[in-house]
Amino acid sequence: MQNYIKYTIVLVASIFFSCEDVIDVEVQNDSERLVIEASLDWEKGTNGNNQSIELRKSTPFFDTTSNTPVTGASVKVTNDSNGDEFIFIDQNNGTYTTDAFVPIIDATYSLEIIYGAEVYTAKETLIEVPDITDLFQGTEDGFDDEILEAHVVFTDPPEEGNNYLFRYDFEDELLPELEVGDDEFINGNEIDWWIEIEEDEETDEIEAFQPGETVAIEMYAISTAYKNYIEILIEQMEGVDLFSSTPVLVKGNCVNETNPDNYAHGYFRVTQVNKTSYTFE
Amino acid sequence: MNQSVFKIRLRCSWCFVLFLVASIMYAQEDYTLSGTITDKSNGETLFGASVLLKGTTVGVITNEYGFYSLTAPQGSYTVIISYLGYSEIEQEVTLSNNQQINFEISEFSTQLQEVVVTADEPERAVLKKPEMSTVKMNIATVKQMPVVMGEVDILKSLQMLPGVTNNGEGTGGFHVRGGAQDQNLVLLDEAIIYNTSHMFGFFSVFNADAIKDVKLYKGGIPARFGGRVSSVLDVRQKDGNSKNFAATGGIGIISSRLTLEAPLFKEKGSFLIAGRRSYADVFLKAFGNDNSVSFYDLNLKTNYTINDNNRLFLSGYFGRDSFKLGETFKSSYGNSTGNLRWNHLFNDKLFSNLSLIGSKYDYDLGLTFAEFDWVSSITNYNLKYDFKYYLSDKFKLDFGLSGIYYDFDPGQIKPTSSTSAVNPLSLDRKKAFESGIYLNAEHKLSEKLSMQYGLRYSAFSRLGGQAMNDYANNQPVIYNNALDIYQRGTAVGETNFDKGETIKTFDNLEPRISLAYQLNENSAIKTGFSRVAQYIHLLSNTASATPLDVWTPSGQFIDPQLSNQYAVGYFRNFKEKMYSLEVEAYFKNTDNRIDYIDGSDLIGQNTIETEILSGESRAYGLELLLRKNEGNFTGWIAYTLSKSEQRTPGGSAGGLGINNGNWYNTSYDRTHDISVSGAYRLNDKWSFAANVVFQTGRPVTYPNSQYSYEDVSIASYAPRNSDRLPAYHRLDLSVNYKPNKKPNARLKGEWVLGIYNAYARKNAAQISFGQNIDTGVNEATRLSIFGIVPSITYNFKF
Repeated sequence: MQNYIKYTIVLVASIFFSCEDVIDVEVQNDSERLVIEASLDWEKGTNGNNQSIELRKSTPFFDTTSNTPVTGASVKVTNDSNGDEFIFIDQNNGTYTTDAFVPIIDATYSLEIIYGAEVYTAKETLIEVPDITDLFQGTEDGFDDEILEAHVVFTDPPEEGNNYLFRYDFEDELLPELEVGDDEFINGNEIDWWIEIEEDEETDEIEAFQPGETVAIEMYAISTAYKNYIEILIEQMEGVDLFSSTPVLVKGNCVNETNPDNYAHGYFRVTQVNKTSYTFE
Repeated sequence: MNQSVFKIRLRCSWCFVLFLVASIMYAQEDYTLSGTITDKSNGETLFGASVLLKGTTVGVITNEYGFYSLTAPQGSYTVIISYLGYSEIEQEVTLSNNQQINFEISEFSTQLQEVVVTADEPERAVLKKPEMSTVKMNIATVKQMPVVMGEVDILKSLQMLPGVTNNGEGTGGFHVRGGAQDQNLVLLDEAIIYNTSHMFGFFSVFNADAIKDVKLYKGGIPARFGGRVSSVLDVRQKDGNSKNFAATGGIGIISSRLTLEAPLFKEKGSFLIAGRRSYADVFLKAFGNDNSVSFYDLNLKTNYTINDNNRLFLSGYFGRDSFKLGETFKSSYGNSTGNLRWNHLFNDKLFSNLSLIGSKYDYDLGLTFAEFDWVSSITNYNLKYDFKYYLSDKFKLDFGLSGIYYDFDPGQIKPTSSTSAVNPLSLDRKKAFESGIYLNAEHKLSEKLSMQYGLRYSAFSRLGGQAMNDYANNQPVIYNNALDIYQRGTAVGETNFDKGETIKTFDNLEPRISLAYQLNENSAIKTGFSRVAQYIHLLSNTASATPLDVWTPSGQFIDPQLSNQYAVGYFRNFKEKMYSLEVEAYFKNTDNRIDYIDGSDLIGQNTIETEILSGESRAYGLELLLRKNEGNFTGWIAYTLSKSEQRTPGGSAGGLGINNGNWYNTSYDRTHDISVSGAYRLNDKWSFAANVVFQTGRPVTYPNSQYSYEDVSIASYAPRNSDRLPAYHRLDLSVNYKPNKKPNARLKGEWVLGIYNAYARKNAAQISFGQNIDTGVNEATRLSIFGIVPSITYNFKF
């Protein structure tokens, strides 16, 4: 809802003489930290055996290289309920992989990373994702009645507390779009989740969906803790303005057991995911 | 509450009363002169006019209703009535019995009110009264200042004075002495205004044509006010011309306004009706745009003089903003207030006013595409009875009591169609009752030393009629030690409170004291202390409050804010009162200031307690105000050096607290704030005005590193408010032209041409960080709201 408020304010401001420009700003510099992107995502309908974990370093904010691989770490995931261990093998490019992972709904997994002399750990539970029951296009919904939206239809499970992450990848776009949702106001209902791209009339850099264009859609069932984490990340990704919450340092679930102050960025998530795509007509 | 504590407090209050009575005892038996002072041309009562017995030190200033009362030994006197901008009058009076005399005084010039070249009396440094940390702004001064789009704005004008700032252009509300926006009590004819902004803060809700006086208490808040810890902005509407019909109006680029005033019941009464409406929506429609933005205001006032001792007033305000984005999104919000007042003179020394006030703020948000409506409101009913007892020349007493009933409706979601995926939901309505009783004395101890001391006892009950969550270990927020973050606590059950029950009760004693010592004819030093309690809070975790923020009462999980403020000041008039200098230093600290845990979610949140921790704030500063009050050139230089910080320890949730429990700058901290405002009157036709503003940039939070996650560069942010926007500065100019008219022509008009931000400084309202969508490289984007903004307005009066 915050977005609608923002949108209104932007409208009000644009009636006046507001202007946006890119400027040079001096920012502070935090120490270099380990970044853990441990996303074990089980695609529905597959066996989920192949999984990978990325380890990187954080960099100064305006550095143009944000991908600095970390090698030489040891990475292990354990299924807490049955004790199964999965060792992820260092590919020497920051990626650690396994082809033996066994995903089990509602099982809790533990991650252990040893890097340098420090041990990082995290825990996460795998949650089942409901099926996508329909996928279609329309124009009626959204901010603009004339542009295309893609609709994803699914039924929220009856118990409250389900959370979803949607990732959309577009043709010819560098950055994906992430959205998070929960069933707070819509528990147990059939949900029609749509995405629309607002055109930027001033720059023409952003275009609405066009017939023939394909959007890749990923729908994850996520834990509440991860939702709380990714929700703030997404909000802050969109840039922080006057009517956003004060931006904060977002801490994930990976704890540095050896030296808590040297915490890691990133998250250990275990999810089930629907992957599909839609081509507009 | 602990009963023994209550008894001790009562006993203290009782001692206080005895002390007052004792100090009254030596009052002599004299005669009293009382009455009202009004403007001869329109019958408006004058607040702050001075009544002095020539050759003595016996004098008094009229109150908000133009009433005065003074007492002196039997004899013959010359009474001098003065009010700057008005011709002074003298009248012989023989005091051999108690007398009631009403005086009428006339403005110097018969021109438009805007041409008052000398400042209003209270704009000079007040030396004889202990009152400090207050600002009274003359509407004429407000009207002559250059403003954005030519839209005269009381709040923007107040921000030109020391100790008052905003949170950036285009944001609502104001901040006083490092206090938060919700810590200001804004009263329009005594009714609480919960949101002072139109169009999210670009303009304020006050239509200057309908306003008579504006007084801001930055500290030393008199005991008759309570409920907000930072300031009181007391705005009074005009009563309406009781002599003849008058119309005032203006046509600007944003809005037009018209005010009509006329006498009623053979000059025993009068009324005022003022309307203002913006017309951006009309233009948008004309250009085929589906979007719409608009606001309007309606001010109403009427009064009736029953007899010399009884007068009735009825006033109202209705204002609304609405926004529409095509068919998909609509929103509207506004304040409505009403107030019925009865002025009654028990005798020529005891003035009283009884008020019955209602006030409501609500907003409505409709999302057509999501097929739901969201409505939220806060309503209060307020009964207050205030007395002023003009006991003697040396001693005056204010006392009274008030009760406010609040009804908070934080939000209801209503699906607007049967196909809506949204379930209906009502957040818990909250009800509360706030009461206060006070006694305040103005006491002239000697020719040089005067004192003001008072006590307010306030109480607040959060009323039942709802269920409250119980939390494991009574912790609505818990500290996750492993991850070093604050998280929502787990509700383990509910306690239901019936309508008759109270959920929680608070009470506080709020002493206020100030002292003035007059060093000589032209200078004085003053000092003051005040303690104030605030029982309701505005929930806002954004840098700037929005109209959609929700008020919430104190209760089980939220304690009332308590603030102590200390101030000292030096006041001096020089060059025959042509100049005045006011220097003040203050320190204040506030307990139980709400702060928001990282990632707090306030929208549609039924359990606010899971999103907040309780902290404290402190602010200190030095304010300097140098004014030139007379002559063709008038104006002031205001400088504030200040600091405003807050910190929030983990408390019962554990952990170090928000921002590791360290003090951090509030977003309204401004180290330096300089405002210069000047007006030059060339002749009867032409006058010019200019403003210069310089401020340290607003504290903000910038990233201090980045990392890649989900193929996106994620900004990791530095500690809260540890960076600052670039410094803010601008220059505004305006020219005022009055075409030549026959002196007795009924219609008088003027043109106002203005330029806001004359050198087109790109002041950053915000700087946002993100990835360039084409290159993926991180960049900082500055949003500046106003470039150079010219404006033209035509004002008329007949």
